Amino acid sequence: MGFLGEKDMFCCLPICSFRFTCSRSRGQIRFCSSSRPLSITTTSAPLFLRPLSHNTTSSHLQTFHAWAKSLAFSSNHPDPPHLIRELTWLLQDATSDPHTSFLQLGTTHPIWRVPLRVELKELYVLWKARVEERRPLQYIVGCEHWRDLILVVRDGVLIPRPETEMMVDFVKEIDGSESGLWADLGTGSGAIAVAIGKMLGEDGKVFAVDLSQTAVEVAEINVERYGLKDKVEVRHGSWFEPLEDVVGKLTGVVSNPPYIPSKHIPGLQVEVGKHEPQLALDGGEDGLHHLLHLCEGCLSVLKSGGFFGFETNGDEHSELIAGLMKTRWSGQFRDVKVIADFAGIKRFVTGFKM
Amino acid sequence: MEMARTLTRWAYCLPPSLPPSSSCSFSLTRRTLQIRTFSSKITIGSNSGEDYLHLTNDELVKQCNVTTFKVSGPGGQHRNKRESAVRITHVPTGIVAQAVEDRSQHKNRASALDRLRTLLSLKVRKTIDLDGYQPPQELLQILPKVSTIRGSDVGSQIGPNNSKFALGVQSLLDLIYAVEGSVSDAAKLLGLSTGALSRLLLSDDSLRMAVNDFRTSKGMRPLR
Repeated sequence: MGFLGEKDMFCCLPICSFRFTCSRSRGQIRFCSSSRPLSITTTSAPLFLRPLSHNTTSSHLQTFHAWAKSLAFSSNHPDPPHLIRELTWLLQDATSDPHTSFLQLGTTHPIWRVPLRVELKELYVLWKARVEERRPLQYIVGCEHWRDLILVVRDGVLIPRPETEMMVDFVKEIDGSESGLWADLGTGSGAIAVAIGKMLGEDGKVFAVDLSQTAVEVAEINVERYGLKDKVEVRHGSWFEPLEDVVGKLTGVVSNPPYIPSKHIPGLQVEVGKHEPQLALDGGEDGLHHLLHLCEGCLSVLKSGGFFGFETNGDEHSELIAGLMKTRWSGQFRDVKVIADFAGIKRFVTGFKM
Repeated sequence: MEMARTLTRWAYCLPPSLPPSSSCSFSLTRRTLQIRTFSSKITIGSNSGEDYLHLTNDELVKQCNVTTFKVSGPGGQHRNKRESAVRITHVPTGIVAQAVEDRSQHKNRASALDRLRTLLSLKVRKTIDLDGYQPPQELLQILPKVSTIRGSDVGSQIGPNNSKFALGVQSLLDLIYAVEGSVSDAAKLLGLSTGALSRLLLSDDSLRMAVNDFRTSKGMRPLR
């Protein structure tokens, strides 16, 4: 790295150090099609939103692709084919070509110019970080595709999972969901809140709550990017604490809280355990710490007949919570259901307050 | 089998009588799934007037089993991997389409549905009456402007990237089957020269494969 100038080092910051705050003073870029520029800097902007201010040739990209592929297969990574799929996504985000057709042009038109959103040499650095440091692709490109959304993510914020996409469908099925007051507790990137916000009518609103200041910032970016500032209100704080003004008024509460039992944290997939925030993963000794707090707390914030939907660690946890709602909280919930995710794991508990 | 190769990336198809597990195996260990079984000779559907392609997405999905790949392991917060492959089985025909390469489950579902429509257009044949044959609007729309039966009200020519292309392909294949694979006979009915119709048939890979498959089965020379 010694040959890189200060500017180049700066470009590498997102991978060398996981702090973006130091780059705050740099120039702002226009971040979405809305009229207001967001307070996000060039270097911390997700790759797909950066300007095409660099370029290279198709043959150079072909060389990069071949190198990246061989690195994936020669590494100790447990799933090289998945890495190759991610490589395509990285190239889609780094260029303006969703079909990565420049890879075919490498042979026939080797000097074809391909506009890039990062310098070519940074692509090498980024891919090394993906393969060798097991850094999640989503942090490298700064976004995750989730439902029909492209959500900004960055270090310190949980990458939304495909399983959680279903939570939005549960909400959609509820009569009158489009006009109520909703809360997404532990919103992280704001994924669930933004998806619900998009479905709401004139009188609907979502409170997106998170304890992490980084999550609050990222959720606000996503809310603004989808033009939902009047539908989704991001609030900073722990679970129900920032909702005192709406106690007893909520139509529904949804949450994907940290639910991994503490003892399982060290054995997590490296991408998760080493890079994602423990605050968003660690559910205490048995993984139920936050879930039980949510069950108890939603009884006070929900209005009568209000909906709840919680994601859990799966099978036993869902059964246990559903069981407790019939015993410990007997007579306070109705229509409690355990719902499996697309892999057949009983992932969700849903129901209504009496 | 040529068709099987082109469809490898997109979908696989099997006769409805065979349980999927016995005839097909697939795996996500390669970039996309691998296809082991494909018979291009199945003609599914019948004269009973199934008009699957005119259904809306919601209506079509109601006729389908939509499943996602079973993944091993605990999933959820434990995993960072886009295991969001979607498989759609169209129950009345047994046609299966799937998508794995998109970045969200939502988009994979949409892609799989698009592929199902393409497969339905290629596989489901309707018998048509050649006496007084009038090409339907969706077929006129995919014809080049040089066609003498194509009125100016039809609008510009629709290509494979348009979602309505599948509908036109289905009608075109119905006609090709009705004229026993003769491109010149079909061309006459469509107000085109044989060359112009050949160019259209060769312009889309799946269409070309379907036509050539049929011609080969009739002992005719494939179009090139």
